[in-house]
Amino acid sequence: MTLMNESPASIKTVRKTRSVTINPPKMCQPMGAILAYMGVHGCVPLVHGSQGCSTYPRYNIARHFRESAEVAVSSLAEDAAVYGGAKNLTEAIKNVKSRLNPAAIGICTTCMSETIGDDVKLISKNALTPGDAMRIFPASTPSYVGTHLTGYDNALRTLVETLAVKGEPNNKINIITGIINPGDIREIKNMLRLMNVQSIFLSDISETLDTPILPGGHKPVLPDGGTSLSDIADSANSLGTLAICRSAGSAATSLMKKFNVPYAPDPAPIGVINTDRFVQNICKLSGAMIPDEIIKERGRLIDSLVDVHHYMYGKKVAIFGDPDLVSAIVRFCAEAGMNPTVAMTATKHKDFAPDIKAVNTEYKTDTQILEGTDLYEFHEVVKTHGAELILGNSKGKDIADDEGVPLVRFGFPVYDRVGVYRYSIMGYNGSIYLLDQMTNAILGHKYDPNKLHQ
Amino acid sequence: MTTILPECDIPIPQRKPHIVCHDPENIVLPMCNVQTVPGDMTERGCTFAGCRGVVGGPVKDAIQLVHGPIGCAYYTWGTRRNLSDTKLHRKYCFSTDLTEESVIYGGAKKLLNSIIESHELFPEGKAVFVYSTCVVGLIGDDTDSICKQAQEKIGIPVIPFHCEGFRGVSQSLGHHIANRTLFEKVVGTAEPQETTPYDMCIVGEFNIDGDAWIVKPLFERMGVRVLSVFTGNASYDDIPPMHRAKLNIVQCQRSSTYIAKMIQEKYGVPYINVSLFGMEQTAQALRDVGKFFHLEENAEKVIAEELAKYQPLIDHYRNKLDGKKCFIYQGAPRAWHWMGPMRELGIETILTATTFGHKDDYEKIMEKAKPGHICIDNPNALEIEEYLVKMKPDFFIGGLKEKYLTYKLGIPFINGHSYEEGPYAGFEGFVNFAKDIDVAVNSPVWKFINHPLEVR
Repeated sequence: MTLMNESPASIKTVRKTRSVTINPPKMCQPMGAILAYMGVHGCVPLVHGSQGCSTYPRYNIARHFRESAEVAVSSLAEDAAVYGGAKNLTEAIKNVKSRLNPAAIGICTTCMSETIGDDVKLISKNALTPGDAMRIFPASTPSYVGTHLTGYDNALRTLVETLAVKGEPNNKINIITGIINPGDIREIKNMLRLMNVQSIFLSDISETLDTPILPGGHKPVLPDGGTSLSDIADSANSLGTLAICRSAGSAATSLMKKFNVPYAPDPAPIGVINTDRFVQNICKLSGAMIPDEIIKERGRLIDSLVDVHHYMYGKKVAIFGDPDLVSAIVRFCAEAGMNPTVAMTATKHKDFAPDIKAVNTEYKTDTQILEGTDLYEFHEVVKTHGAELILGNSKGKDIADDEGVPLVRFGFPVYDRVGVYRYSIMGYNGSIYLLDQMTNAILGHKYDPNKLHQ
Repeated sequence: MTTILPECDIPIPQRKPHIVCHDPENIVLPMCNVQTVPGDMTERGCTFAGCRGVVGGPVKDAIQLVHGPIGCAYYTWGTRRNLSDTKLHRKYCFSTDLTEESVIYGGAKKLLNSIIESHELFPEGKAVFVYSTCVVGLIGDDTDSICKQAQEKIGIPVIPFHCEGFRGVSQSLGHHIANRTLFEKVVGTAEPQETTPYDMCIVGEFNIDGDAWIVKPLFERMGVRVLSVFTGNASYDDIPPMHRAKLNIVQCQRSSTYIAKMIQEKYGVPYINVSLFGMEQTAQALRDVGKFFHLEENAEKVIAEELAKYQPLIDHYRNKLDGKKCFIYQGAPRAWHWMGPMRELGIETILTATTFGHKDDYEKIMEKAKPGHICIDNPNALEIEEYLVKMKPDFFIGGLKEKYLTYKLGIPFINGHSYEEGPYAGFEGFVNFAKDIDVAVNSPVWKFINHPLEVR
């Protein structure tokens, strides 16, 4: 599998020169690690740190997904700062196990437990009795390194490295989702179903963080759904791994190195070309043919682009969020004839700038690329480069209001609108939905209604 | 035996003393203000949360700078609904965003630069509040001397709060740290422009969803001058002259009695406890203040005006809610603040719980509780679920983290931390409170919970 990206020789990106960070669209590692663990069936996330380190991520998950997010914490206090946190972590594992009897416990560390230097691997190992059916994933996720995506990546790699075992080929494709919504995962699954391709999702929050209310009871503390431990173990035997989120690709690299599972680190399947690549990769890895229904979905996306191109052509759009989503959306906006003026990510990733530069070369656009910076800087650049539409999470609200332009919400967290997690912006269908959202935002905002009667 | 061990806690019997069934003949208070059982799925937060999120955070024109890795700043950015009439404290999030390099070599320089830059970019900030997070305490940055150095350089107060998350057992210590810091470093550093015989501070009122905007005018209409609100919609400049009040009234008696006591001890200003929720308690608070200032008639006049306006609405909701049973789970005081008002609506509170209550909170709960009332200290998700299933309240007032667990069980819920459609304080706010309970309980959505799809 070869990379389809070719990096231009020199790329000019803006990086923050201030010491102070103002309005960061990024969170710390435990946040992402918890989300990765929540996509595993029967797995209880356990934060090894202070109580805020579980409470704050839970709050964010609850307000985005409008779901209960139960997370255990080792409740470190002053004595741990002096004597270490082994006692607390051991007791926490014991208590979670005895009360919930989970299939697994996913540990994420914090700045505190990393700074005091607890050996989480050893503590976890000692906490299990020989022959224990429960598994423990000891991910190292110090809050002072990287962002929430780094935490997702570290937890996912720990999951795979703990469980993956070589066995019989399974004829499946591994999908690394990254931090995307239940609606996205369901859409990707739908595409795979149409293509008749079996898959293993690493990991899968589509049911655990979008739970139905069913007659006759519910298990809010440990909901049904998520990828089973045996499926994760089986990921070593797959035809290949596709990463929707390359920032969470280290599990795929690990599977490639250890078990020779091919890895296609392509952009997120948003828009025509990126979704084409996703479909092509699935075909290449699995030998599947492209079914008519997928061809029709693609045709409907193109039909949608044609329908709205008069509205969208040249419209300036500024985008912020996680790197894989932003760079894919930049390409999609360019496909729609828009002018992506600013693209910003707080999480640095080597493919971010090259992806956008490639779009600029192809579509003769001139996107200002901001990497590893904050929304204060994003706003300053939006003021100078212009935007008629902003795409980002709920933290873009004030910027959009100040600039007097609409905000179309995607990414995490979106807490000031309902249902964003339910819909997909991925695949041909999801792209249609995103395009319609963008178009309607423009039509709904100071657009002369006389121009909309025909 | 009045303590109980619920089924989910059989493997962790340490939880037993924290859960009490009220028996007026043999009053036992739940064990409280101690370390959480590790891994028990607690709802508690950290000391930083109590300091930055609750007490310091509402000060609207202070630059709220979080010294630590990025998460702690992000998670407290505009989350708690402590409103103000300016935008600085909710629109902007300031962090030193410490990375590995700072953890190894120290974050002092980054902090100093961050304070100076924040001030340069936001000259409207009247002070800089610097909150230390876990890692700062561990690596040992001398934030006191950095803040002092920065203050000399920028010429506005730079206040360090030593509120590392791992200190203490809950948010509660953070409240105390914020109170003590503001008392020691800010109160008394300036005199009010003028004083009157009717100067009063409202302490422990954080303007959640606009509570302060409801209660402050009530006292002003009585002829009382509200010198400061600590700290809802407060300017930094409101805090220094607090020592010149003639009286402090304390609404949140968990997070803020500390500063009222310190002001009393050092400056001789008396304080009284109030509950500004519900018709009766709010009226009582106005009467107590009226009595202190010899403004009894004014108090009665305001009460009469408010009752004439709002009591009919309360009566309307009481007719719809009479006989309902509820759970209240709050940080601490609102658990007992709301037990009385619930009865005004004909609702009995059958279970209370607090995240970080102390002995005095539980005493106040037990004073109001009926026999058989369940009281839980520092409850966890499994206990909440078990009691919701077992006791089936008509609704539950808790915080966002409990909201969806409750919904999944088909039980109506009201967010008591940041409210649904508040404000909830004062007479007018109590109508909103009653309305939100009515909406929650009487919405048609609940009839679908156990309504299976069947082919008949």
